[in-house]
Parts: sequence; structure tokens; C-alpha cells
Amino acid sequence: MTTCETIQPRLTAYLDGDLDGESGSVVRGHLRECAACRQVARDGAALRDGLRLLPPVDPPMSMWAGVQAQLAAAEVADARKPRWRRTVARWARWAPWPPTMPQYAAGAALAATAVVMLYWRTQRVDELAPDAVAVAPIRTEPPHPLRTEPMAPALVASAGDDVTADLLAEPARTTESYAQVIEELMKLASEARTAWGDEQKAAFDTRLAALRTGIDHAAQGRPQQRAQRALIRYLQLAVVRDDVMLAGGGAR
Amino acid sequence: MEMLYHQYKRRVFGMAHRIVGPSDAEEVAQEVFVRVFRGLAAFRGDSALSTWIYRLTVNAALSHLARRGRRQEVGDDGLSELPAPAVTERDSALASRIETALALLPPGYRAILVLHDVEGLSHEECAAILECRIGTCKSQLHKARARMRELLGPNIAAQAMQTTGATGRSD
Repeated sequence: MTTCETIQPRLTAYLDGDLDGESGSVVRGHLRECAACRQVARDGAALRDGLRLLPPVDPPMSMWAGVQAQLAAAEVADARKPRWRRTVARWARWAPWPPTMPQYAAGAALAATAVVMLYWRTQRVDELAPDAVAVAPIRTEPPHPLRTEPMAPALVASAGDDVTADLLAEPARTTESYAQVIEELMKLASEARTAWGDEQKAAFDTRLAALRTGIDHAAQGRPQQRAQRALIRYLQLAVVRDDVMLAGGGAR
Repeated sequence: MEMLYHQYKRRVFGMAHRIVGPSDAEEVAQEVFVRVFRGLAAFRGDSALSTWIYRLTVNAALSHLARRGRRQEVGDDGLSELPAPAVTERDSALASRIETALALLPPGYRAILVLHDVEGLSHEECAAILECRIGTCKSQLHKARARMRELLGPNIAAQAMQTTGATGRSD
């Protein structure tokens, strides 16, 4: 039996349309009979609508100038840094925290351990799959008609099957994620392209075609992702800096 | 570069405005765009570009609040000290009272309300930006709305109708 204590925590999801079928029906049924919860729901809806209708806030005209000034100051500061600090900063961009010497060692050890374990795990999957198939034919008795898995289940990872499937699906998810980023960056680059000269446009188009061909011809998995990352880096440079010729490695 | 700025400036500034307040919003938004432009070349593409930018925005806003030493959490005792807004406060539109109440929320609740209810992002997008699970996001949203209802007082729906009624009469 539903009570106000069980219904009220669900009202947020109900008002957002996240409850479907029976769950929504249960909430509606309770609201028909409970004036207190109806009032809470009305207040929740009014609040939700009030938040949605808050007017957008326009940034001041001076903000862009402020961004440019800060970028310029940051670039001047970069130029004054000693070379070793620039190298550290480049590495730190790929690390999730500001590096210190002990964290270098810890981070490197952690990364190495993770790579080794992942490699061992995927290797183990590859080793197990052929064995699981090979075991079946050498059994001397016919399999039980209801048994769908081969004998010697210890050779087939049972508890790890879900993790294995997840690991095997990871490359496809990464490839898809890169493809979405490429699509977004292409839109921005296409807009930036309209302001370029003919020479820049030609250089960009040539380089873009070459990078896309690289992706199309790359083997699925890591080779394709490497090719995608190359295109992403190129598009990022094209969007952030108009120096398309330099990004493409062509002569000015 | 400027195109990227114009594409995201309203949302970035809007989020910053409602999380840190109007006086510091420009500073935070500028900081976000500087980080975007300086970090774009290293952006690994493991999330959507918009998600990455909004994540930078929320993190910069919350860090700014932490640096300024704003209170992170208001316990129930703190809430009970706040005056309950009068239901019959004629001159205060509900929108301005919502803005005031939003500013009184703990920063974490404010962020999720701004992302989901004000900016209209989905639960999945909010979870990606806040780097938490979708279930956690929904739970935080529920709690944030509950706090808002406490701050706004009872009969919010009636207040909304009074505001609408007043607007209608003045027109």
C-alpha cells in the first residue's frame, strides 16, 4: 500500500516524466486521494516551471576582451617559463592532478599496473576462448541434453564473463565517442572555414581528406582510434588557431 | 576561436551567474574560456565538447565559491533561521524570489538545479558534467528542489498564480 512517505520521494521523477507505466499510475492514484501530496506536487510543478522560465542572462560585451587579455597574459607567462617547467606543464595536461615528484612515481606505477592487468586480462580471454572450444570435442561422453556450456567450466571465466564482454565492447564505445567529437568539431571548423582565404581552404580540405582516408582504411579498434585522434587534433588546431597551413604542415 | 566563444558564452555565463552570483560571474566565465582555449588542443574527446565546457564551468564556479569561503552546506538548523517568505508579499514576483532562494542553496544543490531545471540539460548530461552517476544526480535534484520549497515557503503554486494574476491585472 502506498503512503505519503513512499510517494513524495518519487514526485520529482514523476513531475519530470521519468516514471512510466505502473510506477506513474501508482503515483497518480495516490495523488487522486491525498490532498497533502497533491499540494506538494503542485508546489513542485510550480517550482520546476518557475526555474525553467527564469530569463537567460546575457554576458557583458567586455567579457570577450577580458578573455583575450587573460589569454595574452598566459602566453607571455608561458614564454617566460624555463623549458623544464614547460615540459612538466605539457605532461600535466594529460594528468588529472598537478604533478609533484612523488605523484609522478605513483602515477606511473599505477598506469603501468593498469596496463599490465588489462593486457593480461584480454590475453587471458583470448587464451580461454580457443580452449573452451577445444575442450568440447575431446569429451568421451555425449553432453547432457540440457547442458548448454562445455565441460570443465573452470577453464571458462564465469564470474568474469560480464567484465570480459564489457572490455570487448570498450573499443567500439571509444570509436563512437571519437566519431561524435569529430562531428562536433567539424561543425565548428566548417563555420571557421567560411572566413579563410582560398589557399587556407584548399590546405584544410586536402589535409581533412587525407585524415578521413586514414580513418576509413584503418583497422577497427586502436588503429582506427589513432586515426580519429589525429583528425581530432587537427580540427582542434583549425578551430582554435586559424593557422591551418601550420597545422597541416604545409608551407605558407 | 571567437566562434567557439560566441557559441557557448551565454550558457557559460548563465551557469556562472546563477552559481556564483552576478558580481563574480564575469570573472569565472572568463576563467572558463581561458581554460577552454588553452586546453582545447589537449582535449581527448572522451566526452562531448559541450559536456567538457560545462564541466569546466561548474568546476570553476564551485572552486571560486570554495576560495571565497562561502558556506558549503546549510544544515537544517541553518535553514530554520532563515525567515520564511511571506505568501502574500505582493511586490515580489515568484521569479525574483526563486533567484533569491537559489542563491541561498548550498553550491552543490545550486549547480544541479541550474544544470537541469534552468539550463534544461538531461539527467545523463548532468551526470556527465558533474561526473557522478545518473541515480546520484536524480537524488541530488530531488533534495535540491525540496530545499527550494522550504526556502520559498508553502503554497508555491498559489504564489505563482498570484504573480500571474497581478501581471494580468496590470496589463
